[in-house]
Amino acid sequence: MSNKITGVLSIIIFVIISSILITSCRKDDAIDTGNEILELQVPTGFPYPDIPEDNQPTKNRIALGKKLFFDPILSRDSTISCASCHHEDKKMTDGLPVSQGIDGRHVLRNAMTVLNTAYQPNMFWDGGSPTLEQQVVAPIESHEEMDFNVLKVVERLKNHPEYPELFLKAYNLEPSPYTLTRAIANFERTLFTGKSKYDEYQYDKNMNALSESEKRGMDLFFGERAECFHCHGGFNFTDFSFKNNGLYLVYADSGRARITTLHSDVGKFKVPSLRNVALTAPYMHDGSMATLEEVVEHYSSGGKPHFNKSFLIQPLNLTQQEKTDLINFMKALTDL
Amino acid sequence: MKKNIIIITFILFTSAVVFTGCKKDKDNGPAERSISFHLHTVVGNTVANYTSVFTDATGRSFTLSDCRYYISNIVFIKDDGTELPMTGKVLLANPATMKYEIGKVPVGKYKGFRFLFGLDSVTNHADPATYPSTSPLSYQNPNIHWGWNTGYIFMKLEGKVDSTAAANGTPDFDFYYHLGLDQMKRTIDFSTTAFEVTSTEDMELGIVFDLKKVLNGVNIPQENFTHTMDNMPLANKIVNNIPAAFEIE
Ligand code: HEC
Ligand code: HEC
Repeated sequence: MSNKITGVLSIIIFVIISSILITSCRKDDAIDTGNEILELQVPTGFPYPDIPEDNQPTKNRIALGKKLFFDPILSRDSTISCASCHHEDKKMTDGLPVSQGIDGRHVLRNAMTVLNTAYQPNMFWDGGSPTLEQQVVAPIESHEEMDFNVLKVVERLKNHPEYPELFLKAYNLEPSPYTLTRAIANFERTLFTGKSKYDEYQYDKNMNALSESEKRGMDLFFGERAECFHCHGGFNFTDFSFKNNGLYLVYADSGRARITTLHSDVGKFKVPSLRNVALTAPYMHDGSMATLEEVVEHYSSGGKPHFNKSFLIQPLNLTQQEKTDLINFMKALTDL
Repeated sequence: MKKNIIIITFILFTSAVVFTGCKKDKDNGPAERSISFHLHTVVGNTVANYTSVFTDATGRSFTLSDCRYYISNIVFIKDDGTELPMTGKVLLANPATMKYEIGKVPVGKYKGFRFLFGLDSVTNHADPATYPSTSPLSYQNPNIHWGWNTGYIFMKLEGKVDSTAAANGTPDFDFYYHLGLDQMKRTIDFSTTAFEVTSTEDMELGIVFDLKKVLNGVNIPQENFTHTMDNMPLANKIVNNIPAAFEIE
């Protein structure tokens, strides 16, 4: 063999070895489209939500998150999944005044919907969790909900016959608190609601979509007399702020003050979205109101004079017809 | 043939460079030495543990089942007043561990040091899932993060206490103190505790943290729980005991 050939061969071998070294840590992407970044289909009139750079939606991530959301593997005794309290047929709420978790334990509060949570600047009635990703750990480790530990969940997932492969496909990483929380949040960001009779009227300009009563209710809702829109305004029927709407003189649950410890936040709760409100009874943070009639009665009376009650909550003295109209309008916010 | 050997040697050499290129060479020269805390978590004169029965300042007996606390923002102050912050170094202290590596500091004389009990607000509100599992800031089991905006539990102290009025029984009644929130961090100041780092030896600073002092003035059976938010007065009382509970050994 000539020296020249050996030299060339050696260089080729070197290049091959080097490129193996360099690429050996990277897994080959499947040829399928599972890891393509998707554009979410948001309802008409809605802005595109902010999505963290490290958790852009892909088919594989959404599928993994969905599987986890419906899997009781997340709870200590494998009986409770996220869907136990966020039912699809109740617009991702549970129909109970306050939720029930593991061993029949009662949660402090009424279950919130996870629809349109992509838009929530913070999570929970008190805004106590900053992101959808971080929120995932709260129910897992809550004594009343799943009563488990996120590291123990991860251990189970690592020993599961399917999950390790699915995590690898979705994030190119093994199950960990990081990938677990990313996956569930990724799925939740795909859950939208925004196609009601009201949307047909408002965005599709179908003037016949709403009845006369619903239209009168809408005018009340968006008018300066009932003032509902000041708090329940915008595409998601909430301004995402924390307000006290005068439910009690003394609140058993201090609400936002639990997080900020401020006296000026006592009894303030996140303004809930009113989309699908006809399907998400009972109402308020503690599920204390069973019907929309009760809610409207509350606002008509002006509520209790709590020191943090918003100045927007004043006696409205609505007529029976006005109450009916307001309720009919809220019922028109149900997805078709 | 000679040429081949030269080429192969060249290849091996280059590969070695490729392999090690990303690793920083550590200079173990005498200009710097590593420094650590030798931290004893004690109850009075006894090293804390999860099996013994201890007594509080009033003679009431109690046991411990969890005792962990965060130390962060460690700053060493050189003799000329220059400050050497150990940026990013966080300790999750517990009674079973005594030695906590902090980092490397230049050889020389130091005026003292200080650190935070708890975490600064930026660290306190970061997402624990983003840390590697070896980091004290990653999720722990049992947990030491609230899962809320309120962040990490700066100190978790749990156990059982004798609940008899005469304090002549055995520990039978649960107590749990979960202390956190940004405003509960405390600066622990040893800025006049001079020491010298010599080129011949790694430095260990002996520190004692006395739980008896932490519980000073706390009637454990009566004041048996706080998650901070739900019992602020008690949380404040305990946290205000903490600076004086740290001492140089
Ligand atoms: C035992 C019932 C229960 C279980 C199980 C449960 N949740 Fe919830 N969820 C609730 C309740 C109650 C609230 C409101 C809690 C609060 O405000 O303190 C809530 C709130 C939320 C929110 C906040 C929505 C908003 O608009 O702020 C999200 C997101 C959420 N849950 C997702 C999940 C996920 C993901 C899981 C599974 C890991 C899960 N939930 C498991 C009952 C439950
Ligand atoms: C000052 C802001 C504010 C105004 C104005 C306001 N609300 Fe509310 N609304 C809230 C808050 C805050 C809550 C949750 C309170 C709680 O749970 O303690 C709430 C709860 C509700 C709920 C229960 C939703 C659920 O899912 O539990 C309905 C329905 C509702 N409001 C309808 C109305 C109507 C109709 C009006 C106008 C008459 C109105 N609101 C005016 C702040 C406001």
